[in-house]
Amino acid sequence: MNKTLLIGLILLSGLFSSCKKWLDVQPESEIAEPVLFSTEAGFMEAINGVYNKSNTEELYGKELTFGTPEALAQNYSMRDDGQDYRQTTLYNYNHDEFIKRKDKIWAGLYSAIVNCNLILLNVDAKKNVFTGVNYQIVKGEALALRAYMHFDLLRLFAPSYLSGAAAQGIPYSTRYTKDPTPMSTVSAVMDSLVRDLEAAKQLLAVDPIRNAGYKVGYPTVKDTTLTTEERSPVLFLQNRRHRLNYFAVCGTLARVYLYKNDKANALLNAKEVIDSKKFPWTAKEDFSAFDESKKDRILYKELVFGWYIPSMAKNIKERWFQTGVNGLHLISDAGDYIYEKLTAGAFDARYKYFLSKSSTQSSTFFEIVKYRRNSIDQGVNSNLHYLMAPAIRLSEMYYIAAEASFQSSPADAYAYLNQVRLQRQIEDKLPLGNEEEFLKELIKDARKETLAEGQLFYMYKRLNRGIVGQTGAIIPASNKIFVLPLPNDEIVYGGR
Amino acid sequence: MKLTFLYNPVCSIQRVKCKLLVVMKLTAILLLIGTMHLSAASYSQSVTVSRKNTTLETVFKEIKRQTGYLFFYSGQVNLNKPLNVELKNVPLEEALKACLADQNLTYNIVDKTIVIRNKQTGAAQQMAVVTGKVTDAKTGEPIPGVSIYLKSDPNKRMNSTNQGEFGMDVNPEDILVFSYVGYKTKEVKVGNSKTLSVALEEEVNQMSDVVITGYQTIKRESFTGNAVTMTGEQLKKINPQNLLASIGAYDPSFKIVQNNLVGSNPNRLPSINVRGSSALPSGDSEVLRRDDFTSGTNMPAFILDGYEVNVQKVFDLDVNRIETVTLLKDAAATAIYGSRAANGVLVITTRAPKEGKLRIDYNYELNVTGADLSGYQVLNAKEKMEYELQAGLYNGGYDDQPQDYLTELYYHNYKNVVGGVDTYWLSQPVRTTAGQKHSINLEGGSDVFRYGVDVRYQTRPGVMKGSSRDQYSGGMNFIYNRGKFQFRNELTVTQVKAIESPYGDFKNYVRMNPYYPMMDASGRYPQLVDAWRSRDQISYKYVYNPLYDAQLSSFNKNGYTEIIDNLSGELEVAKDLKLRAQMSLTTRSLTEDKFLSPLNSKFYEYTPDKTDEKGEYYNGQRKETFWDGNVRMNWLKQLGGSYFNVLALVNVRSEVKDGKDFTAIGFANDRFTSIGFAKGYAEDGKPNSQYEQSRLFGSLLSANYSFQNKYLADATVRVDGSSKFGVDNKLAPFWSLGAGWNVHNEEFLKGNSIISQLRLKVTTGLTGSVEFSPYLSRTTYQYNTGNWYSSGIGAVVDNFGNQNLSWQKTQMTDFSIDLSLFKDRLTLLPRIYRKFTKDILADITLPPSTGFLSYKENLGDMENKGAELAIRWEALRKQDFSINLNGSFVSNRNKILRISNSLKKYEDRANDLQTKPEAEDGFKGIPLLRYREGQSINTIYGVRSLGIDPENGRELYLKRDGTLTYDYDVRDVVPIGNPDPKVEGSFGASFRYKRWNLFTNFRTYFGGETYNLTLVQRVENADAKYNVDRRVFEQKWKQSGDHVFYKNIADLGTTDVNSRFIQDDNLLNLETVQLTYDLDPKIAKRLSMSNLNFTLTANDVVRWSSIKEERGIDYPFARSITFGIRAAF
Repeated sequence: MNKTLLIGLILLSGLFSSCKKWLDVQPESEIAEPVLFSTEAGFMEAINGVYNKSNTEELYGKELTFGTPEALAQNYSMRDDGQDYRQTTLYNYNHDEFIKRKDKIWAGLYSAIVNCNLILLNVDAKKNVFTGVNYQIVKGEALALRAYMHFDLLRLFAPSYLSGAAAQGIPYSTRYTKDPTPMSTVSAVMDSLVRDLEAAKQLLAVDPIRNAGYKVGYPTVKDTTLTTEERSPVLFLQNRRHRLNYFAVCGTLARVYLYKNDKANALLNAKEVIDSKKFPWTAKEDFSAFDESKKDRILYKELVFGWYIPSMAKNIKERWFQTGVNGLHLISDAGDYIYEKLTAGAFDARYKYFLSKSSTQSSTFFEIVKYRRNSIDQGVNSNLHYLMAPAIRLSEMYYIAAEASFQSSPADAYAYLNQVRLQRQIEDKLPLGNEEEFLKELIKDARKETLAEGQLFYMYKRLNRGIVGQTGAIIPASNKIFVLPLPNDEIVYGGR
Repeated sequence: MKLTFLYNPVCSIQRVKCKLLVVMKLTAILLLIGTMHLSAASYSQSVTVSRKNTTLETVFKEIKRQTGYLFFYSGQVNLNKPLNVELKNVPLEEALKACLADQNLTYNIVDKTIVIRNKQTGAAQQMAVVTGKVTDAKTGEPIPGVSIYLKSDPNKRMNSTNQGEFGMDVNPEDILVFSYVGYKTKEVKVGNSKTLSVALEEEVNQMSDVVITGYQTIKRESFTGNAVTMTGEQLKKINPQNLLASIGAYDPSFKIVQNNLVGSNPNRLPSINVRGSSALPSGDSEVLRRDDFTSGTNMPAFILDGYEVNVQKVFDLDVNRIETVTLLKDAAATAIYGSRAANGVLVITTRAPKEGKLRIDYNYELNVTGADLSGYQVLNAKEKMEYELQAGLYNGGYDDQPQDYLTELYYHNYKNVVGGVDTYWLSQPVRTTAGQKHSINLEGGSDVFRYGVDVRYQTRPGVMKGSSRDQYSGGMNFIYNRGKFQFRNELTVTQVKAIESPYGDFKNYVRMNPYYPMMDASGRYPQLVDAWRSRDQISYKYVYNPLYDAQLSSFNKNGYTEIIDNLSGELEVAKDLKLRAQMSLTTRSLTEDKFLSPLNSKFYEYTPDKTDEKGEYYNGQRKETFWDGNVRMNWLKQLGGSYFNVLALVNVRSEVKDGKDFTAIGFANDRFTSIGFAKGYAEDGKPNSQYEQSRLFGSLLSANYSFQNKYLADATVRVDGSSKFGVDNKLAPFWSLGAGWNVHNEEFLKGNSIISQLRLKVTTGLTGSVEFSPYLSRTTYQYNTGNWYSSGIGAVVDNFGNQNLSWQKTQMTDFSIDLSLFKDRLTLLPRIYRKFTKDILADITLPPSTGFLSYKENLGDMENKGAELAIRWEALRKQDFSINLNGSFVSNRNKILRISNSLKKYEDRANDLQTKPEAEDGFKGIPLLRYREGQSINTIYGVRSLGIDPENGRELYLKRDGTLTYDYDVRDVVPIGNPDPKVEGSFGASFRYKRWNLFTNFRTYFGGETYNLTLVQRVENADAKYNVDRRVFEQKWKQSGDHVFYKNIADLGTTDVNSRFIQDDNLLNLETVQLTYDLDPKIAKRLSMSNLNFTLTANDVVRWSSIKEERGIDYPFARSITFGIRAAF
């Protein structure tokens, strides 16, 4: 009997000691964090996950690209209000739909940020699972994405650096926790942004996009002397411009430095992109091609960085930019004003190809056709390029370079601006003017260039300038307009 | 084989031979069960033998050849003595007598087997007559018909006379055995006395003497825990069709939550809580309607023969297989289940085969059910027309329609009324139907090897046409017992097929206008019966004929096949120490198939470009594998006055659920119902899968102690580990303590004529509940399979894994008294308890800058306080006639003590939906579940109403600050009613007259309140376009000065939730009436049965309620009558 008891006890104690391990059950249809971050592929999937999270309707798939900030910049006419943005254009920040969208932007960006943070919390400990340049790419992009999103949060929900560098900004989240991250001041956030982005830039120095062999071009063109963007055998290293590549980080840095009024560094970074000659200007025949399937409406090759959004094609066609006045559109007076129909507009390719005149019984108006596809088929073949949400484009680098060099050399500044105008077939060069005249021209051109790309609002805010209405009326600059209120949940549960 | 047996007795030890005999018989019976009877009949019962100078052996051989009877005898029997036999067509018994006359041998016949043994010599001299009387130990009354026999020779037997007297020839060393149904069997040694007076003690239902906790059996006398034991027989009496309902009727603290939507749908699993609710729904989920509360988080744990099963298993269990059901309620009783115990534990044991010769039990039930539509009072065609006129449906401007259109519409409808169309739609989808059940149970065996086989076939058609639940099950059970070692295996296979009615929701029939014809002139069901023109004068709102959809080939069915094997072994390690190991494996595969015909009305309005997308097929498969094992040591020891019952146990459990499903669309026509005919996946459709795995590990030490049967104590410690807990919190301790005092065993109460039992008990302890999905405590990534990024598939984190997540803890304290008076004829069992649940799992809202909107945390406290009282009274007990009364009453008060911040958010959402009309997916007019600290979880919330202002017909509301207003504001929502009844209970009586038994059971509750939705939706807010409740004709406000209950007749808006419709909710329901007749065993014997009885049971016979409302919205409630026959062979 003693023997039996002894064996029993040994068995029991064995059970106890292996119990903890046994209770550690791994899910199967989803994957636990430590399991995901045990392989290189897992890190790649996590990075792709951040882009996946960001290209949704709530974020860059719609709202942050051609939604709320674009409405705030008075770039849509609101006569029929089929998309429920009228209250947004009136800066009614108590409107239900506006609150819903803004809260989702806040929550969505932070959710993407937490995905970056989880990668960054794991990547250094698992450095040994990586091959080639992948460690630098993963870590660099995670840092850059975190900064990119925080920067957009700051530009929406905090006062501009110019008007309130010391004011309360946003929480700069670098951890994975349920405890709220304390608020930082605007200038502290700027410092964090620069730190993360500079670190990312260093890591991404090995980015294959910098190789001479990396040729930017249309994915439909199979000639490898024209494009090599999809030549890498590793899917993860293809289409670098769909992700925050080295030059995209430079572009973001240029944006951030300019926002911080550090013009020297802004110019440095903008010029790095321009001088790389990586991003060719769009050929006239591609922009103006009559055959829809040969047409490039978003100036694909000029994109330094864009979000890949083919899944939005159907909604773009059938909802947001649907034909008729229920889609996002510009009444004809507004379109004519923005594109200076009577002067430069006569030549401007953007006027011709971003807008399409249409009419109903009661009105004529411009449909915005920048995102129009030949078909809603998600494949690439319906146009020259993928459906993209432009994030950073070459022309913005020219604008930054122009603005950053105006004080030292107005001639250079005008040269940069005129270069963009020339590429859009406006051959008349702008005469030199004073800073105010220069900025006016710069903003006007940026408005034409980035219509429905969600950047203009930030420009007004950065410069603390009044917003130019649809036909020229100025809406005075004010933090009441420029600073979106924090979500209620953030205030209540975060103790803000 | 038989021959060997006959001539070479294998073993000379009598006992072993008997065993062989049984084995022999078993084999024979199992193999030849059918042919045996036939062949036996062909043998003759008379014998013809004529031999000279032969031996008995030869004669027996001859007799065996002629009659088919077998012979058995031990080696001591001498068969070689020569003899002469001359028999001609003599009956067997006479032949044997003749043969054995000079052989000093005797015989007896047991079931076609003749046993030969030596005649006892010299016994005759010592034989003496002993006489005596058998009486009831308690009443002292004589017991007639007691079976009395010699232990050494059971054939020597007699029955006591009507006066309880007996007399028998015995030896002084003989032992007499007295046995009688309902009394404990008693053995008396004769000794030298000439008269014996024997008092038999009543067998107070053996099962109620012990408590079966699932892991051990404890004497009730020494147990301090609160456990209610019911036998399978008792439960069958209350409701032969629904086991869970019977348990609820037996003990009302086992509460089946009424679901007014699903009614008596045989395919809906009920929601149950024990002693009140102790869980909060999670905050981010959708807002819950009060009448559709189907959350499973309150379910008690179900333990079947020592392993855990889900409610579905119990729901589909054959009631005939059940030996006992024990409901463990307090901490002392449940703590052995640790993390699963907080909501109570229901322990079910199935019948183990009993030893003895083969016994066949056959059960037949015929169950007739009919829909109970008494809650529905709808208008007939003529009345409906009149109501429509009154409601102004045809007055100019109604719905912005021109008068000439409305006039035309009126005459169009009126034509139908005059033409005699008066369809009673309610009766179309329902039926009176009969279900059957056959259940056969075979059992038998020796004390070494016992076996049982049971087979069941049961159909349970529902009262909605086409709905049914058919259950088939089979089981094999054997026990091998070898001295210190016992081994048992139980294999059960169950198959269930459930079909939902193609007739759809019952409410669709209730609202149909009686003047709609359901068939056209050619006898076909038209798809459209009406179309209401919309305000834009162009589009129409169609009224579809639900009967049309019912005729299509659409179906909705599901089912499962389940195999359970339960293997256990027991070893008596030492005299007082038993080691037992048990292992059970369950595999269940579930399938679900839903097909919606392309002709279904759902697709009627599909635009032409979607023609090829009509029709829909859903297919889901799930495989579940559970295993549950435990090893336990049980030590039972008596040391002086101390009695110990100690249990140590280790328990492991693993659950894996693996499911896949997908939906296909696009079917060509109504005939092709196979999924292969589908055109493809639905838009954005893709196959889904769910995989869930969880594990549990527990170890337990539990002790029951009593001293001199006066002072009692129980103590339990259990440590559970679960994979569901957070990484930092893997092991959870639970405990309980109990103390009791058997006052009736104290000297000062000994011999007391009034109090026969008085026991005081107090228990307390901590138990837990882990009813949450298995991966909440981990950070998990979800793959974005439907949306690849250009550089590959993405994985995103989708929850904040709370590593500190722990179990819900329930602290339960009980105080109870067991009191029996007048020799146990009156028993009172009062109990009071407090159940305090803390760390309830709740969603905590996070600031979104954390990256998450909410996470799971243990935050939330709830309290249930209550009292229970059970009464049993043997009002009358006579030989031929007896009356027993019993009742069981419960009162429970629930209070939320602390809730999380997300439930406050939930309240905001509820406020929002409360003001939105139903057409916009809102719940205007329907009370929603809300949670406020200090209130019961069941509280009804709304705005206080002072009634209809006679001045202007508007409703007058009371604002939160006490001022009056006509405007409804959700911010004025306060608690307006508490549906928790003050007392809830069931009571009944059983009468016995000779062999007749009448059993009744009532259910009642009173003191609660409810929100009468019928009055709101079908009277006050009645949509005149559809059929409505008869009470619409009751007075509504028409002009200034009308003092009425209902609002202005001209007000077509939806009335918001307010206290005007709160009504007292009292109920008395005659739940069961059962009549049983046991056939006289003598007559049964003549039919070669040992037992035959008939029962007739009616369920839900009459219902008196203070509320008049429509019951069973999607599926009506049912009443049923069951006729049963039980025969034992």
